Amino acid sequence: MKGFTGKRVGTSFPITDEECKQIHEAAVRVLEKGGMRCDDPRASKLFEKVGCKLENDGKLVKIPENVIQAAFKTCPSQFTIYGRSPKNDYDVVIGNGEIHFASVTGRYLRDIRTGERRKATRKDAIDGARMADALENVHGLYKAVMWLYDEPPIINSQILVGEMMKNSEKGMTWVYNTGAEHEVSDLIRLWEIAAGGKEALKKKPHVLGHVIINPPRVVDVHYTDWMIGFIDAGIPITVYSATIAGATGPATLAGMMVQVIAETLALVVLAQAYKPGHPLCYCSFNTSMDMRTGLWSFGNPEYATIGAGIAKMAGYHGVPCVAFGICDSCDTDQQTAYEKAFTLMNYALAGISLTWTLGGTAGFNFVTWDQMVLDNEVATYLGHYLKGIRVDAERLSEDVIMKVGPLPGSYMREAHTRKWYREEFLIPELSNRDFFETWERSHKELQEKAREKALKILDTYESKVPQEAQKEIDDYLDVVRKRGDVK
Amino acid sequence: MKMAQIDKDYFDKLAQTIVDCDKEACVRLVKEGLDKGTDPLEMISQGLGKGIKKVGDDFGTGACFLPELIGAADAMKEGVAILDENIKAQGKTRKSLGRIVIGTVKGDIHDIGKSVVAAVLQANGYDVVDLGIDVPEETFIKAVNEYQADCVAMSSLLTLTIQAMGTVIQKLKDAGVRNKVKVIVGGAPVTQEFADEIGADAYGHDAADAVHKMAILLGRK
Repeated sequence: MKGFTGKRVGTSFPITDEECKQIHEAAVRVLEKGGMRCDDPRASKLFEKVGCKLENDGKLVKIPENVIQAAFKTCPSQFTIYGRSPKNDYDVVIGNGEIHFASVTGRYLRDIRTGERRKATRKDAIDGARMADALENVHGLYKAVMWLYDEPPIINSQILVGEMMKNSEKGMTWVYNTGAEHEVSDLIRLWEIAAGGKEALKKKPHVLGHVIINPPRVVDVHYTDWMIGFIDAGIPITVYSATIAGATGPATLAGMMVQVIAETLALVVLAQAYKPGHPLCYCSFNTSMDMRTGLWSFGNPEYATIGAGIAKMAGYHGVPCVAFGICDSCDTDQQTAYEKAFTLMNYALAGISLTWTLGGTAGFNFVTWDQMVLDNEVATYLGHYLKGIRVDAERLSEDVIMKVGPLPGSYMREAHTRKWYREEFLIPELSNRDFFETWERSHKELQEKAREKALKILDTYESKVPQEAQKEIDDYLDVVRKRGDVK
Repeated sequence: MKMAQIDKDYFDKLAQTIVDCDKEACVRLVKEGLDKGTDPLEMISQGLGKGIKKVGDDFGTGACFLPELIGAADAMKEGVAILDENIKAQGKTRKSLGRIVIGTVKGDIHDIGKSVVAAVLQANGYDVVDLGIDVPEETFIKAVNEYQADCVAMSSLLTLTIQAMGTVIQKLKDAGVRNKVKVIVGGAPVTQEFADEIGADAYGHDAADAVHKMAILLGRK
């Protein structure tokens, strides 16, 4: 899917080129002198193979600068997450200068029909996937819901991914979920089935896989499993840290940049050691701790600022960057609106390629389909801001200015107006622009309009995934369900 | 008589070391007090205890935040450890609201929530033994016996690892100590339902709730 672009994408950063250099150099010193704890012998061996120094029985890896530079030589600067629609109109290019928006998730949701807040179920995963498939500014999917409380924990990921593959043709992303024994192999099998086979998935991967550091400075066994799984399947990855300033990272933003970039560089080295040339990108998921509760906070300015900084460092290293655009507010309210708007604007101006944001509130805790509709509208606004003021001979409009003015002329009846307004103005679908008196007499609240739109989608939208493809997925889910370990 | 040997503002100074999160000053003043023959029980009640209460109150009103609360609890712990030895040597016992062993269960390395709960409990007058993260089931059982704990507190952030909480409870039963300790559980995927299912005595949805439930569990409210 074509993302949003324009002259303002990638124009604003919280750090300069010189500061990028300082952060890079400090991060390299951390890796050279302090190193990374490595809990997985497979990873240690890979690090050693490309010239890193192992200490403490292979459990501490020290990474020299030349190894990092060599790893970047094989990283591509862009790659594609393919959609599965026959028209190929859902493909998303990561790193081509466009901003893409994707859905995000929650453990709880507000039932759109009853208004009740409750735990998510399999049916909600189906609804979430269809909502994301239907909305024009959802360019990709995160987990449709975080957890299926009506399915066994051990096969939760499999059922969730199965339903997503059955109900949306848009590309998706995956972060390690249960750690269950067959999670990696089952999900890869499901993605292969959805793609039309092993080779088809390699040729047109429709998933972006997440490989994450346990901060501070630990290469984790589970994520090494996932890294190997993703790379073997031909799935591009995003490598990053999930650091919380003041808890698992330092309390200065510059310090956060150093630690997070050091950790990210370690994963770049690891991934390129496993398969040189495998496509990867950075990701922003590094925020501050709320000092009242100890919770990670995502609606704060420092989160978006660090994210923009990571995007700048990604550019400095020649790889793309994606980000989580989630918020703190627990409901669909004013706080949600300003948190998301500020964060997303920051991301867009920093040139982040894709951000998971639509539908979710309260971190990863809450999701509502009316919020997804509202975020879809916010994305339209953002897309418009990003265009900036396009200046060219025709848009300078000298002829029509000379023709119409001075008063009593009017631009209302000019062909020039009819030609340009749709491209230059934003005409929103849901946002209110009524006369105050009209609005005062009677109006529908924005949330109600969003709810009605969401309900219409849920009532009428059918999955475009062919029946036989859906059946193949169901057949595999049957195999998974019948396996001995499902209680 | 002994009191005459210490400064009249000694206890205030001792309390202030906790407010300042100043571990070194706390230890130094505690040693100084002991050298001058000050009653260790009084040093806790009039000094360290008052300091941690001030920090707890400030945290409640938003005058300070978690870094101060945790720093104060750490300083308090150092001071109390020295005083406890002395109290024991004198054959006395110290009254505490209760002793809690706390940890993040096996398979889970998430530290923050557990550490926040530990600090808040400490600030509210409980003795807390923090077993850390990825704590094997047996370690909880051993700690209950070793520290004569009144309560076991378990945390987890992962949906699959919370199952380990049930195993710990079973092992407490097997070891014949389940009736001697209360069990409280918490963490994002934990619910009251789950707590009931595994036979925990309480579920705390956040640190303040944990303090509230602890008071009920240990019969202080």
